[in-house]
Amino acid sequence: MASSNVSTVYISVIDDVISKVREDFITYGVGDAVLNELQATPLQTPIQTPLPGTDTGMYNIPTGPSDYAPSPISDVRNGMAINGADPKTGRPSPYMPPPSPWMNQRPLGVDVNVAYVEGREDPDRGVQPQPLTQDFLMMSSGKRKRDEYPGQLPSGSFVPQQDGSADQIVEFIVSKENTHQLWSSIIVKQETLTQKVTPVIPQRDGIQDDYNDQFFFPGVPTEDYNTPGESAEYRAPTPAVGTPKPRNDTGEDDDEPPLNEDDDDDDELDDLEQGEDEPNTLHLVLAQFDKVTRTKNRWKCTLKDGIMHLNGRDVLFNKVCIFWSNF
Amino acid sequence: MATFELYRRSTIGTCLTETLDDLVSSGAVSPELAIQVLVQFDKSMTDALESQVKSKVNIKGHLHTYRFCDNVWTFILTDATFKSEEISETLSKVKIVACDSKLLQPPHP
Repeated sequence: MASSNVSTVYISVIDDVISKVREDFITYGVGDAVLNELQATPLQTPIQTPLPGTDTGMYNIPTGPSDYAPSPISDVRNGMAINGADPKTGRPSPYMPPPSPWMNQRPLGVDVNVAYVEGREDPDRGVQPQPLTQDFLMMSSGKRKRDEYPGQLPSGSFVPQQDGSADQIVEFIVSKENTHQLWSSIIVKQETLTQKVTPVIPQRDGIQDDYNDQFFFPGVPTEDYNTPGESAEYRAPTPAVGTPKPRNDTGEDDDEPPLNEDDDDDDELDDLEQGEDEPNTLHLVLAQFDKVTRTKNRWKCTLKDGIMHLNGRDVLFNKVCIFWSNF
Repeated sequence: MATFELYRRSTIGTCLTETLDDLVSSGAVSPELAIQVLVQFDKSMTDALESQVKSKVNIKGHLHTYRFCDNVWTFILTDATFKSEEISETLSKVKIVACDSKLLQPPHP
């Protein structure tokens, strides 16, 4: 009896909604076919479920999660994207794709331009890796550490000139496109120079002992900066600026990732904790309250026009009196 | 007329929302139109409950949690007994969400 009553009410609600929304559908240029689909689909699910025998399965699933997250459409209403894919793709994707092997291998090159990457890849394959990393080091260190290591740079006879001029142009004057050209030209020159001056390179290695550990084995030092994971290219530069020595970098890198991971875990835990309260209460009463009174620990509440969802069944009511006591 | 979005969390409201969600994601219906449908559902559901439902229920139980925020009462009852002409059940834990009925009765000039 209850179920038939609920079904009757539900059907009337659906018909009412469809009839009153029809004009809007026509205004929006949506055909009747969609309207009929809209009318048919809710009919199938809720009407069948309240009938005795076809119970909980359909009910528990939608009612639980919808408790506090009513609908994706509400997200639309709040201004979020409709597709739902945007918020997901938006976060990681813009940061993830570019990481080239160079991003991890040069932790001290803090905010190096793209020109570094593009310009370096081609000559790198053609020439021996060690001199190139060495050149790269000189440039990046010249850019960031010019004040910190004034004594080291002059050791390379020609490098400081290139650092000084190129860095200023890249940072303040030249646009990105021009930087590509500029750096590529510089790299070509430097490539020829390094090829010619190859015997000079070991001297530079010896002087810059601080960086030698990292760049002596190009593949190995990436361990330190792989630990941060995806955001390695963003996290690595931070310790590099504050503590130029690679030994300190290693220690800080070890410290940082756990901190960040903990932060994520905390957020997830919060979400879980919030969500845990809801699924536990499968029985739900939605209503309007007329009066809520309390005398000491005795409560009395009068509700009206409500829907109760108990044990997978919907029960509609016009009036409810609730009495309860505090613990 | 003011409406409550409260009933969207019911079974029928959830089904309607999911259907609209599918229609919106498939492009058959614009989000604005879907929201209009939901608003109409709020009105129709409220009217139907008011006009078509006459049953009365008594509930007794222990109050586990109570909260009154933004004119919405939320109670969690334990060992709640529901009694009416149709049902008589005891449930270990029930959540009650109730909006202020006075908000649906704005002064009509």
